[in-house]
Amino acid sequence: MGRKRGGPRRERPVKPKPCVFCKEDINYVDYKDYNTLRRFTSERGKIRARRVTGLCPQHQREAAVAIKRAREMALLAYVAG
Amino acid sequence: MLIVIPELDAEQVENTVERFRTVIDRTGGEAGDPNPWGKRKLAYEIDHRADGFYVVMEFSIGERTLTELKRILRVSDDVLRHMIVKLPPNYAHQTLPEGALDDEPVEVAG
Repeated sequence: MGRKRGGPRRERPVKPKPCVFCKEDINYVDYKDYNTLRRFTSERGKIRARRVTGLCPQHQREAAVAIKRAREMALLAYVAG
Repeated sequence: MLIVIPELDAEQVENTVERFRTVIDRTGGEAGDPNPWGKRKLAYEIDHRADGFYVVMEFSIGERTLTELKRILRVSDDVLRHMIVKLPPNYAHQTLPEGALDDEPVEVAG
């Protein structure tokens, strides 16, 4: 049997990772809440990918729009660092 | 939400916001109390200004007046930047320091 190095391939344990907005039952991602939004941007000010933020598709979209609005109102920087 | 130029003092900012409130009220809209965030540093310079007065206000307004209000905001020299956002029907105030909740908040300017 051609077993690969590192032993038998195990299935990854399924880790349920609820989206933070779903968890707190927030239905509107507010662009004015820039401190929360900052958590979803990199140090450079770029919007983080869904796989990094762990947001559900709906909230990732809403957060992206909110970040863009916050940028327009100079609450978040377009480019930082 | 709107950003007023930092050269004005607090009273002048209040007057500026009051002017927009009157416009909304006079044309049949419903303007809530403005919520001033005070003078804040901008995340980046706008017109060579590093800070500005932030004011958030909730109001409901008709479609025609909205166009007019947008025009006034755009030509106003005291307003550095503005944003009018349609609020979802179930909008509730969260952790932010904001004013009282209207019956039917349609838009927020600030």
